[in-house]
Amino acid sequence: MVTRFPPRSSRPRGRVRILLASGAAALALAAGSVVPGNPVGPAPQEARAADGGKSTLTVAVAQSVDSLSPFLAQRLLSTSIHRLMYDFLTNYDAKDSHTVPGLATAWEPSPDKLTWTYTIRSDSTWSDGEKATAEDAAWTFNRMMTDEGAATSNGSFVGNFKKVTAPSPDKLVIELKQPQATMTALDVPIVPKHVWEKVGDFSKFNNDTKFPIVGNGPFILTDYKVDSYVKLEANKDFWRGAPKFDELVFRYYKDQDAAVAALRKGEVSFVAGSPSLTPAQAASLKSADDIKVNDAPGRRFYALAVNPGARTRDGKKFGDGHPALLDQKVRQALFTAVDRTAVIDKVFQGHAVEGEGYIPPRYGSYFWQPSPEQKLAYDPAKAAALLDEAGYRKNRAGKRTGKDGRPLDFRILCHATDPNDKAIGKYLQEWWGDLGIGLEVDCRDNVSDPWYAGEYDLAFDGWSVNPDPDFVMSIHTCAALPAKAKESAATDNFICDKQYDELYARQLAEYDPAKRADLVKRMESRLYDTGYMNVMAYPNAVEAYRTDQIASITTMPSDAGNIFGQDGYWSWWSAVPAAGASGGPSGGGSSTGVLVGVGIAVVVLAGGGLLFAMRRRSTAEDRE
Amino acid sequence: MTTTTTDTARTPGPRALARARRRRAAARFWRQYRDHRAGVAGLAVLVLIALVALAAPLLVGAGSQSVTDAPGGPLEPPSGAFPLGTDQFGRSLLALLVWGTRVSLTVGLLAAFLSVAIGTLVGITAGHFKGWYGNVVMRVTDWFLVMPTLVLAIALATVLSRSLWTTVLAIGVTTWPTTARLVRAQTLSVESRPYIERSRALGGGHGHIMSRHVLPNVMPLVLAQTTLVISTAILTEATLAFLGLGDPTIVSWGGLLQDAREAGAVSSGNWWYLAPPGLAIAVVALAFTLCGRTVESVLNPRLGVNR
Repeated sequence: MVTRFPPRSSRPRGRVRILLASGAAALALAAGSVVPGNPVGPAPQEARAADGGKSTLTVAVAQSVDSLSPFLAQRLLSTSIHRLMYDFLTNYDAKDSHTVPGLATAWEPSPDKLTWTYTIRSDSTWSDGEKATAEDAAWTFNRMMTDEGAATSNGSFVGNFKKVTAPSPDKLVIELKQPQATMTALDVPIVPKHVWEKVGDFSKFNNDTKFPIVGNGPFILTDYKVDSYVKLEANKDFWRGAPKFDELVFRYYKDQDAAVAALRKGEVSFVAGSPSLTPAQAASLKSADDIKVNDAPGRRFYALAVNPGARTRDGKKFGDGHPALLDQKVRQALFTAVDRTAVIDKVFQGHAVEGEGYIPPRYGSYFWQPSPEQKLAYDPAKAAALLDEAGYRKNRAGKRTGKDGRPLDFRILCHATDPNDKAIGKYLQEWWGDLGIGLEVDCRDNVSDPWYAGEYDLAFDGWSVNPDPDFVMSIHTCAALPAKAKESAATDNFICDKQYDELYARQLAEYDPAKRADLVKRMESRLYDTGYMNVMAYPNAVEAYRTDQIASITTMPSDAGNIFGQDGYWSWWSAVPAAGASGGPSGGGSSTGVLVGVGIAVVVLAGGGLLFAMRRRSTAEDRE
Repeated sequence: MTTTTTDTARTPGPRALARARRRRAAARFWRQYRDHRAGVAGLAVLVLIALVALAAPLLVGAGSQSVTDAPGGPLEPPSGAFPLGTDQFGRSLLALLVWGTRVSLTVGLLAAFLSVAIGTLVGITAGHFKGWYGNVVMRVTDWFLVMPTLVLAIALATVLSRSLWTTVLAIGVTTWPTTARLVRAQTLSVESRPYIERSRALGGGHGHIMSRHVLPNVMPLVLAQTTLVISTAILTEATLAFLGLGDPTIVSWGGLLQDAREAGAVSSGNWWYLAPPGLAIAVVALAFTLCGRTVESVLNPRLGVNR
């Protein structure tokens, strides 16, 4: 359950919704868009206040839910919600991410490491009163093993499973084909068999028809409205203890500035950012009263992905990636001309760490750095030399062309919703322009269509990484390639490299943590050398919450960690309501900017109105 | 031979006569235009802005759009070095505002031209061919008229690739119906005049009547309409760019507002990022409206006295 962020929607979404949203935004513009605090869409009436003693934690999110079915969900928001709804076999400790009991209280491998036995706890019940047993877990895994539609989001965990049985209600036995290192990190939500066995087509069912949704996690999902909100209620019978807040609401804000304004006014308790607050927002919130900004090392990497020539599992080529990118020298030259220090200083303004290997430094045992001679340090002269070597020389017009005369003009896919993509795109255009390479920044609301079709040259890419790196490594194996052209698949970027695949198989079968870490690092090294995935930065998690509504909240790792999108339910489960959290909006001191903004809006509106009135008067008399 | 030459020398030919008449008309137009103070003010502002747009490379230098060698720090407030502060890349906002002038004016003019061209073509033909053709065309016009322009433009801009030309096209093909209706009304009135009948009796075809008699007579209306449509087009361009539907790689006023929003300038109170582009849009739109109104009242005597 690692999650792609920024979002790449897993299914094509209707243009209509984009249009509606844009239309709403247009309205907002007309009404003085610069007046923050109007969430797009009808927001449920504010319930944060202590009416009837019910405490509500409202979280402003910018991502929409792709699916509430744990078998289909891939986005960070959806998978985070599934952690709250369903218990997993094991969980990660909030302090240092070591494995702790979840639905399973204990686990034991056989001497040959091919049979794992889990003891399932007896004090976990589904919200409809039935007991959660090993039978539910066995059914969940079996379903994923037999039904392609149920393996969409977490199929990589069960690919190596031979047989899963539940000999008794408190005992789950998993038999493996080969040893598998991720057996204590199976990030798969266990669903209630008695509810889900009635589901017909798992590839279509989105689990959003009957509320409340039966679950056994710390929260029970009670209401959901597409692109509007997700409402959860505390599960008072949760075995680890009931959450302190009675209600948890994820409210959708398309505009991040509106979300920040809502936080200032106290309409929301927490802003997650998409994917994080901008440096300007963080700086201004730091000086605001009753607001705490959490700026901590993140679990994401932010990379430049290169299309290695999209193809299917059986080798059929498709898409229209630039052929020059098949040359490793060209790929390395492109990255050598990227000044990562400038990206950190100028774009992230220090809220990120310079990119090295594939896995962020937060996961110390898997973090890898290139050796000095291997490192593709920023060096435009070396980049030019590499391109010359590869046979792409500058012509008289200063453009680099190949032997066939085709110029090096690339497209880069960028998420229209992510300001960082656009900003870095501007820098790339200039850095590469100096080398004689053209770049078209292609920003789209929905990047998944061209992405799955292989119709791109380069792309901005990023994933959140779990404590266990198996998933993010698995998405670059040949096995993850699509079965049919242009079909959605587990693959991230159509990478298929024999050497990498061999290392992947070896690390998956390696139970010794040190040896496995070494293999993972060798994979990172290989990935770095191929130049298909060039990590530019590890962005920080920059998020903010109201201290007069949330008294305390657990970060993960507990010192300097993130709150939104954790590898567990710790933050929302542990959040304590502030004593005497009053109802009324408390952040009345809106800044001069807002006032000036309103002023401009009034001027523009008055101008528009004047124009309209004058035209009406004149044209009426004009007609003969 | 000699007589003919002296003849032409004494009595000027029809071309020269027409030229002299046009010169007189232009002079009269300018005299009347001068009387409208608002129109003169609008024109002065427009001339100034046009000069700024043309001289942008000289005024602020081509390098001012570069992010890699931006001189300032991110989001600096106005100072001596940066009179309007800097954006999130450290570029001078004054320089960007000057560059944005070019895009706003170009898009405004091109889109207005496209819109008025379509409107005139549709209006004249619909007014001339009154039968089923005119009916069908006017129903199509009505359909476009009731469609909300902005929604239609957003739909077009979403479907097509993002570029300056897409914006021009999106605005052009969505704002023509008003022009079409106006021109059609004028066409109907012109065609009912006796000299059109005379021309038809003398064998003038459809093309001749439309291009030689109707078009010159609707031209003043079209001119005034163009000036008015420009301000709408500039506003729409800014709106589209603000909604993120413009070309993100070129600097425009609406795009600056969008960048400001994305950088979080609104909630952080960085007014210097928001106010200048907004005011610039308002000023240019107002200037074009003032000019358009003046042109209209000069060319159409029935609008009467100076307002």
